[in-house]
Amino acid sequence: MNGLAKNLRLFWQGTLLSYRALFHWLKPTTYAASKILMPLTQMMFFIALGTYGSGRDNSEFFVVGNAVQIAAVSGIFGVTMSVGGERWSGTLVYLFGTPANRMMIFFGRAFIHIIDGAIGVVLAFTWGVVLFGLDLSQTNLALLALTILVTTFSTSGLGLLMGCLSLVTANVMFVNNTVSFLLLIFSGANLDLKTLPVWMQVISNWLPLTRGIAAARLLVAGANIQSIAPLLVQELLIGLAYGMVGYFLFKQVEITAKRRGSLETV
Amino acid sequence: MNYSNIIKYWRVVLTVAELTLRHQMNDSFILFTILVQPILVAVLALFMLKDAAANAAMFVVVGSGLTGLWSSLLFISGNSINVERFQGTLESLIGVPTPFDVIVFGKNFANVLQSLLSMTIAYLLTAFIFKFDLSLQQPLLFFLSLIIAVFAFISFGLTIAPIFVMYREVQHWQNAMEYPVYILSGFLFPILLLPGWTTPISYALPPYWAAVALHGTSTGGAELNSVLFAWAMMIGLGMIDLLIASRLFKVMLYKTRVDATLDVQ
Repeated sequence: MNGLAKNLRLFWQGTLLSYRALFHWLKPTTYAASKILMPLTQMMFFIALGTYGSGRDNSEFFVVGNAVQIAAVSGIFGVTMSVGGERWSGTLVYLFGTPANRMMIFFGRAFIHIIDGAIGVVLAFTWGVVLFGLDLSQTNLALLALTILVTTFSTSGLGLLMGCLSLVTANVMFVNNTVSFLLLIFSGANLDLKTLPVWMQVISNWLPLTRGIAAARLLVAGANIQSIAPLLVQELLIGLAYGMVGYFLFKQVEITAKRRGSLETV
Repeated sequence: MNYSNIIKYWRVVLTVAELTLRHQMNDSFILFTILVQPILVAVLALFMLKDAAANAAMFVVVGSGLTGLWSSLLFISGNSINVERFQGTLESLIGVPTPFDVIVFGKNFANVLQSLLSMTIAYLLTAFIFKFDLSLQQPLLFFLSLIIAVFAFISFGLTIAPIFVMYREVQHWQNAMEYPVYILSGFLFPILLLPGWTTPISYALPPYWAAVALHGTSTGGAELNSVLFAWAMMIGLGMIDLLIASRLFKVMLYKTRVDATLDVQ
C-alpha cells in the first residue's frame, strides 16, 4: 500500500512538474497563441478549404474532424516535448539515476496533456458552434466528452512514442511536425477515408484519432453508445499500444544509454 | 538601413546567401518547412479540391508552394537575427566592418530563394506522382510575377526579423501567425469565402498580391490589368516594408551599440 502511494505521488509530481517545466515560459499571451489562437486558425483554414472543395453543406464534416484533430496539438507536441525535454534540459541523467518506477515516470509525462488536450478539443467544438454553426442538438454531450477524452488519450500514446524517439534523434521537431501533418491526411479529419486508396485506408486504421473522429461524427449525427462503443474501445487500445511501445523503447533507451554512457549524445 | 550597401557589398550578400543555404540544408526543421510541409499540404489539397475546379491541380501547386514560402518567411527569415543572438554571434556580426543590414539581406535572400523549392517540389509531385497535366498558361508573366514576389517577400522578411528580435511578446505569437496568412492571402481558396471585413487586411498583405499574380498567370484566370495591378501592389508594399525595416534596423542597432541591451532584454 505504501508502495502504491509512493508511486501515485511520483506519478502526480512527475506529471505536474513536467507540465510546468514545459510551459516554464508560460504567460497568458503565449498560452493563448499556442493553445487557443493557433488551433483556431488551423481549424478555420481547413474548414474553409474543405467547404471550398466540397460545398458549404459539408461544413459539419470538417468542423467536427478538425475540432477532434486539435487533440494532436497537446498529444503529439506537448507529450513529446515533455519526454524529450529531459534530454534537452540535461535532466535525463538524473532521471535515469533515480530508483523511481519507470512506468510512473513515463506515463506521468502524458497525464496533464490529456486533460489539456481534451480542454483544447472542447474549446474547438465551442468555436465550431459559435463560429461555424455546428448543431449539437442531437448529440449526447456526455458521450462526446468521453470520446474526446479517449481520443486525447490515444493521441498522447502516440506522443509518448514520439517522445522516446526524441531521446534517440536530434530531428524530433521534423518527426513531430511530419506526424502531425500526416494525421491531418490519414485520420479522416479532412478527407472521407472511403474515397482514399486502399493503402491509405490501411494506414488510417493503425493510427490514433481515426476512430475518435469517426465516433464524434456519429455522435453529432445523433448516434448512441452502441454505435460508437466499438470505435472507442479500439481507439483506446490503439492509444495503449502506442504508449506501451513507447514505454518499452524508453526502457531500451535507458539500458543502451547506460551501457554506452551516451545519455546526452544518443 | 542603407540599401545602396546591398549593391556595394553584393559579394557579401552572395557569400552570406551561400553559407545560409549550406547551413540550412542540414537543419531538419527548415527542410520540413520548405519541403515536407508543402508536399503534405499539396497532397491534402489535391484530395480536397479535386472537384472544385478544372484547373485545381495548378492552383494547388502554386497555393501549396506559397504556404511553404510564407512559413519559411515567418519561421526562418523571421528568426534570421534571433538565431544569431541564440548562437552568441549577434554582437560580433554587428561589430564587423560589413554593415549588418547587408548580412541580414543576404540571409533573407537565401531563405526566400530556397523556399521557392516548395513550389517546384509541389509541381513535380503533382505532375509525376499524381499524373496531372500541368502547364503554365502565361509562363513569362508567371516568372516575372515570381521575381516581384521574391522582392516583396524579402522586404516583408526584413521587417519581421527586427520586430521578433526586439519585441519578444510579438514573437510569442509567431506560431499563431502561420494559418491566418494562408487564409487571408487566398493561397488555396479565394478570399471571397471570407467575411467582407477581412478584405482590407488581405489587401495590405504582400503574400495576397503574390497569390493573385501567381494564381492568375499560372491558370490563365486573370486579365493583364489585374496582374499588373498585383505587381504594382507588391512593389509598393515592398517599398513600404523596406522603409519600415530601415527604421527598425536603426532602433535595433542603437539598442545593440548604445544600450547594449539587445542580447539580454
